[in-house]
Amino acid sequence: MSSIGLIDPRDPALAGEPAVVLATLVAATGSTSKKVGAKMIVAQSGRLLGGVTIGGCVDAQVIEAADALVARGGRRLLSISLDDDEAWEIGLTCGGTVEVMLERVEANRGDDVVASAHGFAGDALARGAAAVLVTPVDGAPAAFVVCDDGAHFGSLGAAAIDDAATGLVAGVLASSSRVETIGDRRYFFDRIAPPTTLVIVGAGQIAMSLTRMARELEMRTIVVDGRERYATRERFPDADELCVGMPSEIVANIPSTKRVAVALVAHDYKYELPILRRLLREPVGYIGMLGSKKRGVAMRDILRDEGFTDDELARVHTPIGLDIGGRSAAEVALSILAEIVAVRSGKRA
Amino acid sequence: MTAFRAAVLEHFRHPRNRGPVDGATVSIDGANPLCGDRIRVQLRVAEGRIAAVGFTADACALCIAAASVLTEHVRGMSTTDVAAVDGAWINNALGGEPPRGRERCALLPLDTLRRAIAQSLDAAP
Repeated sequence: MSSIGLIDPRDPALAGEPAVVLATLVAATGSTSKKVGAKMIVAQSGRLLGGVTIGGCVDAQVIEAADALVARGGRRLLSISLDDDEAWEIGLTCGGTVEVMLERVEANRGDDVVASAHGFAGDALARGAAAVLVTPVDGAPAAFVVCDDGAHFGSLGAAAIDDAATGLVAGVLASSSRVETIGDRRYFFDRIAPPTTLVIVGAGQIAMSLTRMARELEMRTIVVDGRERYATRERFPDADELCVGMPSEIVANIPSTKRVAVALVAHDYKYELPILRRLLREPVGYIGMLGSKKRGVAMRDILRDEGFTDDELARVHTPIGLDIGGRSAAEVALSILAEIVAVRSGKRA
Repeated sequence: MTAFRAAVLEHFRHPRNRGPVDGATVSIDGANPLCGDRIRVQLRVAEGRIAAVGFTADACALCIAAASVLTEHVRGMSTTDVAAVDGAWINNALGGEPPRGRERCALLPLDTLRRAIAQSLDAAP
């Protein structure tokens, strides 16, 4: 299973597994410890694949149900009510209900509807697109994938249902996975988006800490600098890409999407100004710049004189990072990542 | 503020010839590896003269100011005459000498321009 919950037939963990049950948390009331869309795989061999679990007592019931399903086939919706004691154990403070969709999947069978849809969504991710995978929460299996680049795959059984689902996809892409009702049937809209790409400009100590911590957050990191002796693999073993050249050109060649965050940590206007000129009118999700408030004001003044508006300039988070009182490179990196997550989740503008 | 500093800031804020050159016949990148200044100088050479010149840079104010005055000066000049332009000319154009340790910043555009012209001459029939 990929890190974001897609079944990949090429995954070595699936080798020798003729069938698995994919368990997906599709709905929850109360304050769940896992968000809707969390997944777990229960293999025919009894193995649990992937690192995503749904939580304490729920896991046990899901595994028990999955064991039965993997042998006889089919799919079911498991609705689990939580009394107060159970709720306390898994972090639900006032009880609630979770709904878990269980689907038997034969990952290596080309005609498996769910496996094929996961493969298509995986290909979309690989080319940088986001996708929504729509499946009925119970009943006969079906899958329909709609990507934000216009590609689509599969069907929910009727063109009218596919059209209705397509009409709901934009809203899901803009927010999060959820169940929607079309006609008299409920469907799970699973938002599958590429990981955040963190572009780090300036290959110093803060950047080194950023790449290490960003890996834990499953972000893809690109380290950019004009200095070959700084942006080295020895200094950045965790970076996904190291780019040396004219930083503003390198950044301009990275496709701008809301899933791109740019951290300017060179503390050098010669990189920051050209990059900001290119980025302020691009739809990147986050721009942060290292420096004091005074420095931020000076940079904004220069850019304002060049014609950038106050709204455009307000997109730059500077001083960068949440104010957690950190001073070391690692602490600053932590505050930057916290701010990126806060912006991504809508907790901070 | 000294005349030198005023000139540098003025050219930094309003650089001449910044941007790519349409129909460039030669394009050369230059860098100061330790400070990280990066510049690209583009020329369109026609009949032995610099018909158009431009630069793109992620560089400090001094480097950009030097590129600005240099490109203004050499536009229209014959490629052979550019050999007479040196660091002293740049200092004179900016009204002073760069601070100690910053000489490379001021010279990077000139060095890159010279390499661009050399490439242009090499490529000439």
